[in-house]
Amino acid sequence: MIQTIGLSKAFHGAEVLKNINLQVAKSEIVVLLGPSGSGKSTLLRCLNGLEEPTGGAVELNGIRVDAAMKVREKRSRYREIRKHTGMVFQQFNLYPHKTALENVIEALLTVKKMPKHQAVQIGERLLERVGLAGKKDAYPSRLSGGQQQRVAIARALAMEPDIMLFDEPTSALDPELVGEVLDVMRELAKEGMTMMVVTHEMKFARQVANRIVFMDEGTIVEEAPPEAFFREPATERAKKFLNQLSDH
Amino acid sequence: MSLVLENGFFLLKGAYYTLLITIVSILFGLIIGVVVALARLKGNAPLRWLARTYVSIIRGTPTLVQIIIVYYGLVDYGITLGPLTAAYVALSINVGAYLSETVRGAILSIPRGQTEAAYATGMTPWQTYRRIVLPQAARVAIAPMGNTFIGMLKETSLVSVITVTELLRSAQLLIAQYYVNMPFYLGIAVMYWVMSTVFAAILEAIEKRLSRAY
Repeated sequence: MIQTIGLSKAFHGAEVLKNINLQVAKSEIVVLLGPSGSGKSTLLRCLNGLEEPTGGAVELNGIRVDAAMKVREKRSRYREIRKHTGMVFQQFNLYPHKTALENVIEALLTVKKMPKHQAVQIGERLLERVGLAGKKDAYPSRLSGGQQQRVAIARALAMEPDIMLFDEPTSALDPELVGEVLDVMRELAKEGMTMMVVTHEMKFARQVANRIVFMDEGTIVEEAPPEAFFREPATERAKKFLNQLSDH
Repeated sequence: MSLVLENGFFLLKGAYYTLLITIVSILFGLIIGVVVALARLKGNAPLRWLARTYVSIIRGTPTLVQIIIVYYGLVDYGITLGPLTAAYVALSINVGAYLSETVRGAILSIPRGQTEAAYATGMTPWQTYRRIVLPQAARVAIAPMGNTFIGMLKETSLVSVITVTELLRSAQLLIAQYYVNMPFYLGIAVMYWVMSTVFAAILEAIEKRLSRAY
């Protein structure tokens, strides 16, 4: 479904991603783990072009973006890819001047040019799916962090993406609000959504992931099913990472 | 005082032109301001340079000199504008430069995450600007813009030098006729003050309305 081929990314000469080769199959749930600064978020953002790779290629269902392509070509292909990917951000990034429902249907109206009544129907159904049917007319400022993130998930789902990218979706939340967001993500997983998740929620990773991708210093150090990874990581670096986590 | 009241209609006509010039200049100034702000933020290098130079020149020269150049200076190049048209042109160009700075600052104040969220759903840069960034920037910009608008209302008095019979020149014409100064000057001062106050109240209402949404 989605893959990277020799993907690399440098910021002002500093390489943050080095030769990443990763494939994710349909309905697979891949959790990216690794210390901060290891390139997990950058990798996710290279998939939908919020960061432009400096080397290699990204491919989603046959739409290929090669770093060597012309800028214009890359941008237009990335826009195609974005129509088939949903992204959820650490800081939610809901549009503060739009209600929950308006947030969800915005891209349906502008990108898909859907008639309003049809978009509203879809939007209401999605808000119901994330348990916020009653909040459709609320502005983001009136919602808790957990509610905002669930609206953001509904917004990402509205475009019927082939894959959902989660960039630390619970890291900005108060601990008591983390559960409601993870529950929605679990539901999505159960329904067969393809997902790539950057998270520090180890329990979630262990229970929901089909595969753990462990990254450090811009490379994929280890890939393994969660049980194997958490029970017996194959590399020293992964061991060290897991030990540091269990220390506190 | 009775002289002022007797000539009230004449002065009101002057006030009408003051308001008209203010509103027309603000409308065109807004368009210029948004376009120039976008040029500075999103344009290529020559366009950015052009926009920056425009703002620098306008902000670095007196409004009065700009008005005189548009009305008297352009004649040398065969461009003859009527006084009122010259007033619209000069003041629109002037206020556009100031507004572009406000708009630019407001756009820059919108967090990057807003743009990223819109891009991530497949929206184009233009859709993102129009639907996500500009509406939020408008809210940020409205208060400082209000100050510029009220400033504009008062600056229109400068176009009296190019024979536009706005409020100040109306008074000057009456003074030439009756040989008394103070009552007319005081009269128009009060009229300016009333207009500024009403203007400020309207702007405040708009600001409230915009911020009520969220």
